Amino acid sequence: MLGRLLPGVLLAWALTGCQPSNEPRSLVFAVAQAPANLDPRYATDAASERINRLIYQRLVEFDSRSREVPGLATWQMRDATHYRFQLSQSATFHDGQPLTAADVKATYDSLLQLKDSPHTAEFKHIQQITTLDTNTIDFELSRPDPHFAARLMVGILPARLIATGHDFGHAPVGSGPFKLDQWQSALQLQRLSDGLNVRFDEVKDPNVRVLKLKRGEADLIQGDLPPELVKYLQKQPNITVKTGVGANYSYLGLNVQADFLRDARVRRAIAYAIDTQAIIDKVMVSHSRQASAILPPEHYAGNAALQPYPYQPALARQLLQSAGIKLPLTLTYKTSTDPQRVRLATILQAQMQEAGIDLQIKSLDWGTFFADVQKGNFQLYGLTWVGIKTPEIYSQVFASNSLPPQGFNRGRYQDGVLDQLLEKEDWPAVTQRIHSQLPVIPLWYEGQFVAYRNTIAAYQPMPDGNLDGLAHVVFKAAKD
Amino acid sequence: MIKRFATLLPVVFGVLCLTFALLHLVPGDPVDVMLGESASAADRTALKAQLGLDQPVLVQFGQYVMHLLQGDFGTSIHTQTPISQLLWQAYPATLLLAVVALAIGLSIGIPLGIWSALKAGHWQDVMITMLSIRLAAMPAFWLGPVLMLVFAVWLGWLPVSGMANAASIVLPAMTLGLGLSAILTRMTRTSLLEVLNEDYIRTARAKGLSERQVLLKHALRAALLPLVTIVGLQMGSLLAGAVITETIFSWNGIGRLLVDSIEKRDYPVTQACVLVVAFSYVLINQVTDVVYRWLDPRTRGAA
Repeated sequence: MLGRLLPGVLLAWALTGCQPSNEPRSLVFAVAQAPANLDPRYATDAASERINRLIYQRLVEFDSRSREVPGLATWQMRDATHYRFQLSQSATFHDGQPLTAADVKATYDSLLQLKDSPHTAEFKHIQQITTLDTNTIDFELSRPDPHFAARLMVGILPARLIATGHDFGHAPVGSGPFKLDQWQSALQLQRLSDGLNVRFDEVKDPNVRVLKLKRGEADLIQGDLPPELVKYLQKQPNITVKTGVGANYSYLGLNVQADFLRDARVRRAIAYAIDTQAIIDKVMVSHSRQASAILPPEHYAGNAALQPYPYQPALARQLLQSAGIKLPLTLTYKTSTDPQRVRLATILQAQMQEAGIDLQIKSLDWGTFFADVQKGNFQLYGLTWVGIKTPEIYSQVFASNSLPPQGFNRGRYQDGVLDQLLEKEDWPAVTQRIHSQLPVIPLWYEGQFVAYRNTIAAYQPMPDGNLDGLAHVVFKAAKD
Repeated sequence: MIKRFATLLPVVFGVLCLTFALLHLVPGDPVDVMLGESASAADRTALKAQLGLDQPVLVQFGQYVMHLLQGDFGTSIHTQTPISQLLWQAYPATLLLAVVALAIGLSIGIPLGIWSALKAGHWQDVMITMLSIRLAAMPAFWLGPVLMLVFAVWLGWLPVSGMANAASIVLPAMTLGLGLSAILTRMTRTSLLEVLNEDYIRTARAKGLSERQVLLKHALRAALLPLVTIVGLQMGSLLAGAVITETIFSWNGIGRLLVDSIEKRDYPVTQACVLVVAFSYVLINQVTDVVYRWLDPRTRGAA
């Protein structure tokens, strides 16, 4: 008897929280990674940040050239340490309460008080936040910060709920175009304008995401697919594939304290030993492009004059020999276990062999790999900067005083000339200096892609991979 | 019986020590994960104190055990959800998958094994042997997507992945169950062939019993005994979370939770998963032992 009952009971238990079949049709977005924490004061993973953009509104937004533009508020810098923000559009939280200056103050005050938030450190120089009236907020800083406005990208939370210690991580309440509908086995958001439900199903395996899209179990997938699967989808009759340029910068990190790599000739030799264009043409989605700096040329601090290093293995050999290195030069390259990353590593290995570099690949689980990168326990590694908006990144990555944990100078690069240029914020000169000294080897900005069933329309890939297109997506016809 | 289960305590204590040591042996600590790269040393120290990570290791271990005894596994660093809640969601899913996979394995493996043994040396035996070797050689990361392609995409009978309805379990359970059935087929065949050559089977036949009676009443009971151990071991590893199968089929079980927590360095979740998995494994092995003794009178007297 028990034997007969057990499977039924277990099934009911395990499937608790699954979507009932009589609910209106949700748009199903199959994502590689589900969001972890929807409290904008804590979220750091790309999945959570992209979804938070839909749920919350921010004081400041960015235009297509990544310049700060008003979001919820306009602002003026009254002096080097004093900013005044004026709420310029009426916004309402999902619980019906209006968004006011008190909510802005409460959001940033609470962020400053958190001991376990990864974002607190960035706002440590806020000395005082004052509300002048229901729409005006003053920020007093302890030191001048010309990029202060661009930092204010944290979603605004309702003061009333902050005071009660509300769990925004799992029950977000914001003022954005989407509100939380339910979050049991999968997150489901509801679009306020028309009630459309969007469900985010986590499907880690790229092949399975493609099969779900083909079968109609998912309506939309975005990014994180090897190019052969993108090509496969392009041939499917009931699926639309769109690609667009990306702004996420992939690079080869170098430990300039390691043997040989402190010599700029060796670093240039590595750049000449990589045929980035061939890699882009053969194994990356279309619209991928070669990179010469962290920020792409269309960014207001981008430098269109920089030319990528061409593939010249013979020149690379000469440079290595002129640096007194006996070939082959053996270097260890650390990467994650992601199949596309490992594949790229093997291509780099084959290309570098031509230039007399014997690249040893070490593929490590993400946790170990990233811990090694942070500690400087590497010679070469491969990573991507995602969602970078401000040129301040150059100081955080290359300034002598930005060694971890003070910043992201993981390669321990120290260059007095560059430090002076960074101080002056002379971005053309900064990018030129970095390009000639090569503390990291720029690789590419990977193209963005989305694939969706022809039952939906009006979704566009965004350069940084955000999901803002969900505000406009529509079902063309009811699906049978 | 109570004595037998009391012997589990040292094993469970050992597992506790090991899972606790995990936190202190791996590079980095929860503070690095929570605060990221750019936090100051003062902030790190403050958070360490808040989390009690600045206490002596033995004090931390004591607190860890005390919390566990109260059913408190801690909180996930990444999602800030109580871990007991995560386990409560994941464990039934894994248990269900394990039970269904085992049922598939047994219902295919034992009949095929018996048939194979009865037809030993004939073409049916050769075919079954070839089939079971092939099934045993198919890894889940290959078999799973192939089953999806055939049954979900081409035939449209079943969902590709997820846990949306009862049909969702069929493909992941088949992925695990088919591999299991191959092992059970081979074991049943070998064991039955051995038993069929025993003197008491010859005696049974000499008494004039039909082949069916010989098989069902005399041979099978003895032949299936070794399978109890195999099934116990397999059930143990299924409860440890079929990591690959759960991941490709988006089945929210212990295996997937474990892999996810390792990837994100969510140490407390990894600790809790390892603890639960180890405990399940030990428990299943004890249960197997008890069942074996109950089924086989010869082992009852043994210590």
